[in-house]
Amino acid sequence: MSAKLWAVVKREYIERVRTKAFVIGTILGPIVMAALMIVPMLAARSKSKPLRIAVVDWTGELRGAVAQALLEVEDDGRKRFDVQPAATDSPEAAEAAYRKAVLDKSLDGYLSLPKDAVATAKASYYGRNVSNFTNLRTLERTVSGVLVTRRLTSAGLDPARVNDLTRSLDMKTIRLSEQGEREDEGAAMILAMVLLMILYVGILMWGQAVMTSVIEEKTSRVVEVMASGVPSTTLLLGKLLGVGSAGLTQFLVWALSLLAVSLASGSLGATDMPEVTPLVLASFVVFYLLGFFFYASLYASIGAAVNTVQEAQSFVFPVMLPIILAMVCWPAVMQSPDGPLAFTVSMIPGMSPVIMFLRIVVLTPPMWQMLLSIALLVLGILGVVWMAARVYRVGILMYGKRPTFPEIMRWVRRA
Amino acid sequence: MNENALVLKGIRKAFAGHVAVKDFSLEVPRQCIFGLLGPNGAGKTTTLRMIMDILGPDAGTIEILGQPANHAARDRIGYMPEERGLYPRMVLEEQLVFMAAIKGVPKRQALERLSPWLERLSLAEWRKRKTNELSKGMQQKAQFIATVLHQPDVLIVDEPMSGLDPVGMDVMREALIDMRRAGTTIVLSSHQMETVERLCDRVALIHRGEKILDGSVSEVKARHGKNTVALAFEGDGSFIETLPGVAKVTDFGQYLEVRLQDGTDPQPLLQEAVKRLKLRRFEIVEPSLHDIFVETVTGHGKEMA
Repeated sequence: MSAKLWAVVKREYIERVRTKAFVIGTILGPIVMAALMIVPMLAARSKSKPLRIAVVDWTGELRGAVAQALLEVEDDGRKRFDVQPAATDSPEAAEAAYRKAVLDKSLDGYLSLPKDAVATAKASYYGRNVSNFTNLRTLERTVSGVLVTRRLTSAGLDPARVNDLTRSLDMKTIRLSEQGEREDEGAAMILAMVLLMILYVGILMWGQAVMTSVIEEKTSRVVEVMASGVPSTTLLLGKLLGVGSAGLTQFLVWALSLLAVSLASGSLGATDMPEVTPLVLASFVVFYLLGFFFYASLYASIGAAVNTVQEAQSFVFPVMLPIILAMVCWPAVMQSPDGPLAFTVSMIPGMSPVIMFLRIVVLTPPMWQMLLSIALLVLGILGVVWMAARVYRVGILMYGKRPTFPEIMRWVRRA
Repeated sequence: MNENALVLKGIRKAFAGHVAVKDFSLEVPRQCIFGLLGPNGAGKTTTLRMIMDILGPDAGTIEILGQPANHAARDRIGYMPEERGLYPRMVLEEQLVFMAAIKGVPKRQALERLSPWLERLSLAEWRKRKTNELSKGMQQKAQFIATVLHQPDVLIVDEPMSGLDPVGMDVMREALIDMRRAGTTIVLSSHQMETVERLCDRVALIHRGEKILDGSVSEVKARHGKNTVALAFEGDGSFIETLPGVAKVTDFGQYLEVRLQDGTDPQPLLQEAVKRLKLRRFEIVEPSLHDIFVETVTGHGKEMA
């Protein structure tokens, strides 16, 4: 590496890494990630108080069985439901009393079983809060069980035996790969999502950082001094390498703390951490760097063409379009990671950084596809860098009116 | 060793719509201070940018220190553009070390050279401060240090005095002269004719992308003849303009410079002035570079119109 390039890379890197935004982002990132993982775990452990409910029984015969079944529902050794003792007066009076109790918050809700509850399998729940799905689903299932038992008994069947015979399927999903098999309970998908988001945001964020850096050089007019000492391609390359490594540094800090968190939580008994394979890690770095080079060069040429960040906005969207389209494709790719759509999209240079990475995380594609995708992406980068260097060389000395797109194309041809 | 520091041959540069520099040739001898003059938009900055390879010429060749222009040769040039610029958030010392590094100077060496310069331009106490905390004049001086820290053989400075107070101007002038004495060739582009007149050995005048004047300062002045009269007086000198044979009057109030038409005898003017004014000085002088500049540029404009 030439001394000039090295000097530019070092300056860009140090300038990025020293900013408050970088320091805060680097420290805050893992804290937010840890919070995202730990808070739901803690929340899951400290279950809320049992739901205080009452039963209005219009049939006059179900209450006992329903109440008993509800009281038996336990979660981590704790009762889920707290059933009020049976009302002595008529269902009408009881319902009115419960309604009042719910409104003055001495009761969470009440269940109303109509006269023909067993035959029609219908019931109603009245409560202030009806969005606590887990509780309500448990309630529904429990009451449904009581009604089914009742119907089976009246049909002369033994509920326990029927239950035994109609046991539903318990299917485990096991992911097979060259590295062996492991049980997967959706954690792999969540991991893929998280890494994909980091990749997507990282590419665009650090790409924008290159653009801002170019605009700042124009604004402070230091660019002419730089251009007189360093060839514009070296300057551009130095910027890409410097800012790109700053981004990589941040990811490495995040990855290490993620590793620490997962090791710590692993020792705490949470065994379900999906393992990050070396292939996933390596492809994250490769696709981050390649994707960054692709988009950052485009951003650099935008920065060179305009005078202010505001002026840049109208150029930014068309440049981001491929990666946005790629993000739109991800559910389809996830559904069929080996399908024709996934294959095609993972070969298109602007889209492949996220899509090929997603495919690698979900289902390791054949080696030749990975290599072809990378090769095409590298070709794309060479084209983009070539173009960006030309726009850059002309643009950095242009002040005043924002150029139009055809004008920029003319710079590319003429430079 | 080739005796020219810079040789431009038939340089041409056109931008969309207009030709900025056309068939421009120039020789800058070594170890002189060379003034590059010209009105705004004449093509000075474009020419300097082509020397520095910031712009590529459409035609023509450039030689630096006797060899065809390339990156290594350009590293021997120090260039201070008219558009000054430093990284605003960088600490002064780091900034200057960086500017030297891109010209190939190792950090240790840059730091050694830095201190005397900071002392000389009274920036020593600002060494560890961020650049955007410096005043405009101080930034100007810092920019100059950034330009010379790699000890260039050729120094190209665009308007070196602008933004400096009189003390700063003196320091800058001394620095330039010392560098010339040490063997540096200096190309200076400026509008301040007095500065150019006092500092430069040679000048060239660019107008509308073409060189219309070139030579040593004394040659250029001699070519414009000794038909300028300087008068210092008390009274109302406005009548002088109406006298026969007077081509042009530059009025400074109590002091006039009168340019006579070619072949006019200054005696009648003297007699008239003695009659009507309390004369303190009457002298036949060389025209100032300022007058030559204005006359050449406006005269040239008329011819072309």
